[in-house]
Amino acid sequence: MSYDLFAFIVDRVDVGIFAVDRSMRVILWNRFMEIHSARDADQVLGKNLFECFPELPRRWLEKKIHGVFTLKNFAFTSWEQRPHLFRFKHNRPITGGADFMYQSCTFMPVKYGGDDVEAVCVTLFDATDTGIYRKRLDRAMASLKESVNRDGLTGIFNRRCLESELSKEFDRCRRYGSPLSLILFDLDDFKRINDTHGHLAGDEVLRVIAQRVAKNVRSMDIFGRYGGEEFVVILPATDLDGAEAAAEKLRSIVAATPVTFGEQRLAVSASFGIAEAAPDLTSYEALLDRADSALYLCKSKGRNCVMRPAAAATPAAELAAV
Amino acid sequence: MTFVPYSSDHVDALQEIVNVAMGRAAAALAGVLGTFVRLSVPRIRIVAAADAGRAVRVLVGEHAKITAVRQSFHSDLAGEALVLFGEDGCTDLADLMGYDDCDEPGMQTELLLDLSNLLVGACLCGVLEQVESGSNVSFSAPSIIAERAYVHALVRPDALSWTHSLVVELNFSLEHRDFSCHLLILMPEEAIERMRALLDRVLAAV
Amino acid sequence: MSLPVLVVDDSAIARKMLIKALPADWDVEVTQAGNGVEALAAYRAGKASVMFLDLTMPEMNGYEVLEAIQREDMNSLVVVVSADIQPLAQQRVKALGAIAFVKKPVSTEQIREVLGQYGVR
Repeated sequence: MSYDLFAFIVDRVDVGIFAVDRSMRVILWNRFMEIHSARDADQVLGKNLFECFPELPRRWLEKKIHGVFTLKNFAFTSWEQRPHLFRFKHNRPITGGADFMYQSCTFMPVKYGGDDVEAVCVTLFDATDTGIYRKRLDRAMASLKESVNRDGLTGIFNRRCLESELSKEFDRCRRYGSPLSLILFDLDDFKRINDTHGHLAGDEVLRVIAQRVAKNVRSMDIFGRYGGEEFVVILPATDLDGAEAAAEKLRSIVAATPVTFGEQRLAVSASFGIAEAAPDLTSYEALLDRADSALYLCKSKGRNCVMRPAAAATPAAELAAV
Repeated sequence: MTFVPYSSDHVDALQEIVNVAMGRAAAALAGVLGTFVRLSVPRIRIVAAADAGRAVRVLVGEHAKITAVRQSFHSDLAGEALVLFGEDGCTDLADLMGYDDCDEPGMQTELLLDLSNLLVGACLCGVLEQVESGSNVSFSAPSIIAERAYVHALVRPDALSWTHSLVVELNFSLEHRDFSCHLLILMPEEAIERMRALLDRVLAAV
Repeated sequence: MSLPVLVVDDSAIARKMLIKALPADWDVEVTQAGNGVEALAAYRAGKASVMFLDLTMPEMNGYEVLEAIQREDMNSLVVVVSADIQPLAQQRVKALGAIAFVKKPVSTEQIREVLGQYGVR
């Protein structure tokens, strides 16, 4: 009794194996293909592959297989470029995006002893696991990238990101001559809040104020936490007057409503310094410095106000402290 | 493992063999793209791992940025092929291959992988057939190992598992177009001696 | 009188293989050239009634040699023997005056067939 080991293995191995002749007729169809396509070998052998499976991307796949016949070389497809050829179900948990089995295929030229390629043998590998892990990895990387730029407590941009963005905007402003302004604001008496009500209260204040301000800047503005209780808003395409109007709006939003912490209602206000990128400023750091000196003026004027830099001709709009 | 350098006869024979294989690859490429393909004169070196990075830079040039596809092959001679594409001319290619109706993001990657596969397959089969080693070659799937990276970042001597390798460098470019690419075939260690023996056979037959 | 035949190829082994493929019953005087410059010198010295010319050579390639010969009156039967087998290459060399294009490696039968048409036997 003879037993063909090769045939047994080709048929039962946990990999799809099928072959087509020059007319794209199926001449081999193993168990894996039978199970996943729900078509027995005798239903497809001798028939045109594309007539049996109209879902296949015919033009592209025929070209690919034809290339193997003419160039007499291997060809390959990968799930990374084309998730699947056949719409086979897979039996892995779905964590998003894997509707069908991910497949990678190898197309092998088959010669029957002569120099011509008589058939193309296709091996189809289930790459669903890899596909799913890769998607998870991509998501994790994206999230990691994001977190590098974010402040842990408030979720807004962090200093590193602010400086990077400001540097870019400054260069852009230099190159194209468009206006650029900066708001630098600092929570008033923040140390006292921490000392009197505890650091958790202080954290809550930072979070709430960050949220309030974030909701009230334009989508093109860049808002982030610069230091302990210091925040920056970068305003592209905005001049000093525009920055002043924006800062005044924010000042009012910060001061208008106390922050609730447990049973406490904590009164909060902030001092705002503004500055505009002017020809005499040679770096983004100099712009920050100018806004900082304006902020200092505000602090000396009793806080809860918006101040322009001292060199500005028109006096700043002052508001009485709350 | 020390090695004896190839004699000038061996180098000449290998150069001619690669030349013929390259012609085959160029014809395949021309067939697919429908344009004239310019061939370079193949360059052949035996390189120590420590010098690999520098050798690649010298052969390929300190281009701005390259995208690299790798593919390994296995027969009597085993090794790896690298196809390096510059940034220029890839859009030209898409045109030539009739991809203009699909600008899906994976399309350009697929194009580079297909092209690499075509060039590597044709060149390697061409070389192996001429040294009478061509009947049992198999290839791995091609994959991208670097995208828009600098050449010097591609080959890190400390990450290489061999001490010496045969390196063949070819360059294909298109007339009237920006597109060009380098094909590097690396066959380390045992392959150097195996190739020498195969070349001995070829030389004896002349 | 021996037929002057010039074999042009930068590869010594390719030249050897071609010379070996020349029909044994031919009465020929073979000169070898390793690049286009040497080839032109030999041509001008009357050593190339028949020329077997490679295309990919350093310094001066096969196309440039053909162009030069065309300018100087094309007094040679040029058979291009090349690895560069793309159809456009074949068209170009014919347009530049080559009588035939033969793929490497060349066989004796091919040489006989190509030159037989031009009365060389």
